[in-house]
Amino acid sequence: MLFGRKQKNPIKIPDKGVVEWKYTTCGYCSTGCSIEVGLNDRGEAVTSRGVGGAHVNQGKLCLKGIFEHELFRSAGRGRVPLIRERRHEAFQETDWDTALDRVAGEIQRIQAKHGRDAFAIVSTGQIMTEEFYTLGKLARGVIGTNNYDGNTTLCMSSAVSGYKRSFGSDGPPGCYDDFEHTECLLAIGSNLPEQHPIIYWRLRQALEKRRFPVIVVDPRVTMFAQMADIHLPISPGTDVVLLNALAHVILDEGLEDRAYMEAHTSDIEAFEAEVAKWDPDTAAPVCGIDADTIRNVARTYARAGAAMTIWTMGINQSTHGSDGVVGINNLNLITGNIGKPGGTSLSITGQANAMGTREWSSCSGLPGYRQLENEEHRKEIAAFWGIDPEFFPKKRGLFQTDIFPAIETGQIKGLWIIATNPMTSMTNTARIRRILEKLDFLVVQDAYEDVETNEYSHVYLPAAVWAEKQGCFTNTERRVNLVRNVQPPYADSKPDFWIFNQMAKRFENGRKIRFPETTEGAFEEMKQLSKGRMLDYSGMSYEKIERNRGLQWPCREDDEVGAPRLYTDGKFQHPDGRAKLIPLPWTDNNERPDDEYPFWLNSGRVVEHFHTRTRTGKIGNLNKFSPTPYMEMNPDAARRLGVEHGKYARLVSRRGDAVVLVQLTQRVPPDMVFVPFHFHECVNRVSLGLLDPHSRQPAFKQCAVRVEAIEDQTAAAVRNRAARSY
Amino acid sequence: MYKVRDDEPAYAYIPDKVAPEKNRYGKPIQLVEEDDPLAGQSLRINNDPAVGRNPNRYKQHGFYFTADNCIACHACESACSEKNDLPPHLAYRAVGYVEGGTWPNYRRVNISMACNHCDDPVCLKGCPTRAYTKFAEYGAVLQDPDICFGCGYCTWVCPYNAPQLDPVKGQVQKCNMCVDRLEVGLKPACAAACLAGALDFGVIETTPDKREQLKTRIPGFPTPEITHPNIRFQQTATLPREMTRTDAMPLQYVRDEPGAGEHAPRVRKQGEKRAWNLGKLRSREDPLVIFTLVSQAVIGAFLILFLGPLAGFEMLSPEAHPVAYPALLFGLLGAETFALALSTLHLGKPHRFYRAFNNLRYSPVSREVAGIAVFYNLLGVYTVLVTFPGLLGWLSAESAASLTSIIGWLAVLAGPAALYFMHAIYRIAARPFWNHWQVLTSFYGNMLALGAVSVGLVYGAVLAAQGGASAELFRLLASILAAGLAMEGVGLYYHARDLQRGGGEGAASHHIQTTRFGRTWLARNAGLGLALLLALVFALLPATGWTGAALWLGLSVLVVATALVGRGLFYVLVVPTTMPGAFFWRNQGFAEHAREAHLAEMPQVGVVPDAH
Repeated sequence: MLFGRKQKNPIKIPDKGVVEWKYTTCGYCSTGCSIEVGLNDRGEAVTSRGVGGAHVNQGKLCLKGIFEHELFRSAGRGRVPLIRERRHEAFQETDWDTALDRVAGEIQRIQAKHGRDAFAIVSTGQIMTEEFYTLGKLARGVIGTNNYDGNTTLCMSSAVSGYKRSFGSDGPPGCYDDFEHTECLLAIGSNLPEQHPIIYWRLRQALEKRRFPVIVVDPRVTMFAQMADIHLPISPGTDVVLLNALAHVILDEGLEDRAYMEAHTSDIEAFEAEVAKWDPDTAAPVCGIDADTIRNVARTYARAGAAMTIWTMGINQSTHGSDGVVGINNLNLITGNIGKPGGTSLSITGQANAMGTREWSSCSGLPGYRQLENEEHRKEIAAFWGIDPEFFPKKRGLFQTDIFPAIETGQIKGLWIIATNPMTSMTNTARIRRILEKLDFLVVQDAYEDVETNEYSHVYLPAAVWAEKQGCFTNTERRVNLVRNVQPPYADSKPDFWIFNQMAKRFENGRKIRFPETTEGAFEEMKQLSKGRMLDYSGMSYEKIERNRGLQWPCREDDEVGAPRLYTDGKFQHPDGRAKLIPLPWTDNNERPDDEYPFWLNSGRVVEHFHTRTRTGKIGNLNKFSPTPYMEMNPDAARRLGVEHGKYARLVSRRGDAVVLVQLTQRVPPDMVFVPFHFHECVNRVSLGLLDPHSRQPAFKQCAVRVEAIEDQTAAAVRNRAARSY
Repeated sequence: MYKVRDDEPAYAYIPDKVAPEKNRYGKPIQLVEEDDPLAGQSLRINNDPAVGRNPNRYKQHGFYFTADNCIACHACESACSEKNDLPPHLAYRAVGYVEGGTWPNYRRVNISMACNHCDDPVCLKGCPTRAYTKFAEYGAVLQDPDICFGCGYCTWVCPYNAPQLDPVKGQVQKCNMCVDRLEVGLKPACAAACLAGALDFGVIETTPDKREQLKTRIPGFPTPEITHPNIRFQQTATLPREMTRTDAMPLQYVRDEPGAGEHAPRVRKQGEKRAWNLGKLRSREDPLVIFTLVSQAVIGAFLILFLGPLAGFEMLSPEAHPVAYPALLFGLLGAETFALALSTLHLGKPHRFYRAFNNLRYSPVSREVAGIAVFYNLLGVYTVLVTFPGLLGWLSAESAASLTSIIGWLAVLAGPAALYFMHAIYRIAARPFWNHWQVLTSFYGNMLALGAVSVGLVYGAVLAAQGGASAELFRLLASILAAGLAMEGVGLYYHARDLQRGGGEGAASHHIQTTRFGRTWLARNAGLGLALLLALVFALLPATGWTGAALWLGLSVLVVATALVGRGLFYVLVVPTTMPGAFFWRNQGFAEHAREAHLAEMPQVGVVPDAH
């Protein structure tokens, strides 16, 4: 002691008394961080830390991961199954058998009366791959509905569709290590520091070692945009125009990798013909980026030895989402930037296991990137599961965003919602309420009984959350990582895997097909089904995954580790082995701001929250950073309307209205407002969500609104408070 | 010892860098030599007797913050809160921001700030209980919640809002530099968690790898001159001339020289209208409003009662009021007892009140409490001796009289001295609104004014009841009252003038007092002026009897109301030099709204509902 007390007391520093660390993988976003959860001597999860030697996160975690152990004791969890005859009655607590019998009975009744497809299933990107595989088996092989999709339609569908169109298959071809090799990074519609802080950290690490140009395309001046060497504040919904113009400059100035194009791509002429129309001077007034800047960016990108593009919802959630992804792929194909270190089209995925559902859930086809449209695939899977291939439909059914309108028009009568919350996540909340009201039967399966969609359910099944169960997640860079069981499921909640298995037993086909008792058993089936394919798991085991802190696929039977990149040999998954260069004509089909609704409405995520806040809204040390909805608005625009900083304002669109706290900031343009999408009864009361023709993903980020000052601030505060149960 | 795992990543270790001998303020970085008796001791972290093996254990450590890089991802704050097991409403480290420019040429600078383990820790000096220690180990300034009694004074004096008063536990807690991690060579949890290459840690004045600046100022950070904080910044990106805060503080940071120079704090006026906001005058410091005013009134009244007769004003003497004089003294004693009880209950842990005297050497709080305690005891003894002269029957009448007189004289010295120390409490560099001599004129002014009011109310009524003439009494008391009010008025005039001239946080306080509380402030000023005028009229044309008493009562109500409003404003108007907040977290405006709109009832909102 230098100064102060002579008689020193011992220093007290909280010691959580960890006696054991358990290995898991984070259950929030798809960065795929390895987490160790610390247990005290009573077996309670008391702390989390990033696994030091993990390839992805090297000991780091974002704030959500830092507090992930608090999930196990968070508020609002479902304790026991709940049941009611009609939606307006109170729930009764019940046991699992009664609840499952009721669900199975309703499915059978609805299917018998209205046809197999009259019962729909909407799942998630949150549960484990083995659970997805099992659910797929249940939906496709047992229940046999073709109206089965995941909420990935709201986030990754455009990336899937774009990858399939360009390369013949889904599967992000790159990896985080590409940052270490690239000479130019183009980030379009990705706010990496906020959405994927650990991936941003990987980029930052690479930049600390070696500078390379970072170009960020985003209408808002995000922190990422500020960090960028070049920021392109693009007009909403015009990414395809910019991408066409970049390709135009590259082809026009002969900067393309002609040898790569000739060797590995097809349809060059049609592509060149379309791109020829998009010279920078034509594109500039449309996309809001001046012609010289477009040329500068195109040259920088094309001249880099290796260049890569990353993107997230700025591309995907658009009426041209799939085309945007194809445009990025086009750019990388003409510059020879696919399958090489530092050269890639890397879609930064959203949910922890969005990749798992894409690979194994059979939502868009059959397990292991197989398609319903392919007779071989149908036969293969039918044989493996031991059912008649004719049981499968020959074409994929409706996407999530088409299932809801089909309920509206009466084709679908029953719905099973698993770990997703359309009441908050889908556009036009009022319409979603009307749709859910129309269902004869709704079953909600979720870890939280206060999930808003539960308001409309007849049966609620309480599911275990995250590491209350065991299984795998696949991350953005195709790395399969393991969630070890850390805590027993809360109260009488059950792992989704168990629920699917029990449900299968209540159907005729379910008693014919083998449903392994353990997730590891399901993993073995997946290994067998993937052997020899691009999506190859056969070299993996739980033990090997944990030892390597995750393995990337393809990981073939004798591989020590998986492959970091796809298409390194220039062979693609289209039948001719080539990637397609696809012409992208562009039409302006968004609801644009006009005199009545003069602002673009943009939406997005904030770092402290995940999706509809069912988890993060209950963890105070996360939620406190944005406990109530707000809107970023340009102060110059606000002044004209009398809208004040820190006060409530009303957001009005052709769909409805919402009340938000106003945060005035020059980070948004004068003709745009930005609202985080996490909050119930907020942005989606006003959003439109036009659908992409290929991916059926909604354009969450583009519609028109007006902003009104609110005289009675007290009433606004009461209304906002009333919409917050957490 | 903290357990280091086998796969601890390299970035988590503190680099062993060569530091200069002295820091920029001339202090040696090596705090004690290896052979010093202070060296080689265990920190006894959670009673562990082990001694850390960090090679730089006795060097001053500090934080490095590259403001260019911070992305406000909250990882540092969260790693800290998680490790220290903090509830949502409390945080040792917080990230706020300032922003400027026009879209798309907009720039936001995030600032992550915890304790700066200063060379000159004002918290340590201010703490009356001596809960703070600056350790030879790492130069860490640590606070012991087990000693703290929750007065919150450290949270006033710290320019960086580092010590956190937990209203639930009633104690202060703060950053402990993660000394458990330092002992094994690891960086604090926050620095190890940083995802943007922004926050780092090491021996002070050693430039981290790939960094080039060791600045002591960035926009939004208070002047380092107050405490010589152990934090160094890098901020190379060009910033817009004006950087504003998003929280409710009406402040911005403006660079006046073209293209260069530092950003200095300026008021941010946004056309706020003049309002009353009387309800918002109430705060956690309500008990202090009463405590300070009552103490000032009691001391003033005692001075009048004791010195008045000595100065020849016989109408004040015990002889003139054989019953009322001791009764009034007992009344004063009772009032002061009540005030002391209030100020004690205002503590987070009232049962530890006796620790207030622990830091007489440095803390103005200790000195104030000691001063008030001395005065209070002398007043008590004097009151008893005056009331029961028989107690000194064993002494000669002369000796008894001189003993009583000595006690009285001592109380006369102790009272104003206590008020001087009371004023010194508020002379805080980190709180420019308070750091002005006006506090002294206000406290002494109120001493005179409220003292005169108190004596006048009692004696005026007694004289009226007795049918005695009270004109002379009122003439004297009204003069004293006028002098007190004038002193207050002169102080307030120069205070307002100097606040506006001084700019920065003081001017921001003045801006709030003329806008948010504008009507209240004007009413208080008018009340003060009117009271002064009436007091002067009273002094020149004193009324007598019941008329006099009634008029005095009316004047007293005005004076007391003015004093209450004025003291209320004194506490709510202060704008500390603390760090900028964010839109929700560490935004006083949002916290206030959350309480009013019942959002605070959800604990995960991170705002504790108000108890006062």
